[in-house]
Amino acid sequence: MSPETKRPIIVVTGFLGSGKTTLLRHVLTGQPAHGTAVLVNEFGEVGLDHHLVRRVDEQTILLNNGCVCCSVRDDLVRALSSLLDQDQRGTIARIDRLVVETTGLADPAPILFTIETDPMLRHHFRVDRVVVTVDAINGQRHLDRHAVSLKQVAVADDIIVTKTDLAPPATVSDLVARLRVLNPTAQFTTAVLGEVEPERILAPRHSRVLAGQQTAETTARDESEHIGETRSLALTFEQPLDWAAFSIWLSMLLYAHGEDVLRVKGLLNVGEAGPVVLNGVQHIIHAPEHLPQWPDADRRSHLILILQEIDPQQIVQSLQAFQHLLGAQLSSSDVRG
Amino acid sequence: MCVLCSQSLLVETHWTDRRTDAGEPVATAGNDRERQRRRDWQHRAQLLNHVLGHYGLSLDNWQNRHYVLSDRKGRSEIVTDLGTLWPAAAQLLGHPLDPLDPQLVEVLSGVHLAREGC
Repeated sequence: MSPETKRPIIVVTGFLGSGKTTLLRHVLTGQPAHGTAVLVNEFGEVGLDHHLVRRVDEQTILLNNGCVCCSVRDDLVRALSSLLDQDQRGTIARIDRLVVETTGLADPAPILFTIETDPMLRHHFRVDRVVVTVDAINGQRHLDRHAVSLKQVAVADDIIVTKTDLAPPATVSDLVARLRVLNPTAQFTTAVLGEVEPERILAPRHSRVLAGQQTAETTARDESEHIGETRSLALTFEQPLDWAAFSIWLSMLLYAHGEDVLRVKGLLNVGEAGPVVLNGVQHIIHAPEHLPQWPDADRRSHLILILQEIDPQQIVQSLQAFQHLLGAQLSSSDVRG
Repeated sequence: MCVLCSQSLLVETHWTDRRTDAGEPVATAGNDRERQRRRDWQHRAQLLNHVLGHYGLSLDNWQNRHYVLSDRKGRSEIVTDLGTLWPAAAQLLGHPLDPLDPQLVEVLSGVHLAREGC
C-alpha cells in the first residue's frame, strides 16, 4: 500500500493540562472531522462528543535492547488492529484518518515506532504528523522540570501554544522563541480555548514534502543554539551527497547515540531529479521519500538535528571527516559549534 | 531464517533500504532494478570497509544478498543490512562503533587530507 493510500494518523500530545482534549473537542466537531476515529488514553473532564472514540491504556512493551523509543505500544497495536478489522468488515463507518491522543506524560516515540514497525499496521497506517500542545502559562516550567515535555516538543511537527489569552504577550513570545530554538522544524500556531482551524489538524498534509521545505527555510537562519541540554543543529551541504555514505553515517550515529538524537529532519540532494526527504525520531526513521522534483530553486542539502547530551561540534567534525565518503563538503558558513 | 538460502523469512527492511518514490513504493522486480541494487550493494560494502577497517573489521559481499563481517581473529557474522551490521560489529568489538569517536574522525580526516595531497 502506498503512503498516499495509507490512513493518516495524527498524534496529539502535550504535557498535563496543556489543552489537548480542549483542542480535540473543538477540532472534532464539524464536517472536517467526518471519518475520523479517535483513540484516547483517558476520558478527561472535557468529553469528546464523537462517534468513534475508543479508550486505550498505555501499555508499553520494552524490547530487549532496552531503548525506550524502540518499544512497542501493545495497546495501540490491539486498538488499531481492531478498528481496521471492523472498518474492513464494514461494521463501522469508514475510517479515513485517526487521531491518537496520548496522556500528558507520554513519550510519543513508541507510538511512532509501533506504527512504523508493526508487520501489519505499517501497511495500513502512517503517522502524518505529531501535534503538541504547550501551555502558554506553564510551558516554560514544564520544559524546565520535565524531560518528557522537552521530548514532546522536539518530536513535534506542529506546536499549538494554548491559553494565550491568559498569559501576558511577553510570556507568550518568550515561550515561542524558546520553542523555535528547541524545534526549528515545527510549525507554530496559538489557540484560545482550543480554537484552531480543524483542517489545520485533520487535513492530509503530505507532511514530508512540507517538512523538507520547512527545513530549507529554517536552515537559512544558520543557527545552532541550545537551551539546557537540548540543542538544535542546522547543516548544509553544497554538493550532492552519496546517499549510501550518508545512510551509513546516520545509521551508525543512531546506533551509538540514537536516544540522544531527538529529531532528524532533512531535505537531501543525492544527485537525483528531486531531493530525498528524511524524517526521524531517535532510532526511528521513516522510509526516506525520493521526491520527483525540487520544491524550489535551492539545490543544497539541508539537515536539522535536535540533540541532547551531544556536542553539535562533534557532529560537525564527524561529517567533515566523512566528507570524502559523502562526496560533499559540509558548508562551514552554515554551521556553528 | 531459511536453512537452504539463509534468507530471513520475516524480513523487516531497514530504513536505509526502504524508499518511496513520489508516494509510490519502489518495485523490486526487473533486471534493471536488480542490477542497480547489486551496484548499490557493492558500493556500500566498499564505503563500509573504509570505516570498519579502522576497527580491524572487514566486510565481504556474499551473493549480493548478505555481507560477511569478520574480525582479525577469524570470527565472522552474517549480516543483511545496516540494521544488523552495527549490532554485529559491536558484538565482535565489545563496544559500539561510533562516528563521533575522535580516533575514527582523525583517521578518516587523514584519509581525506591524503587524497587531497595535503
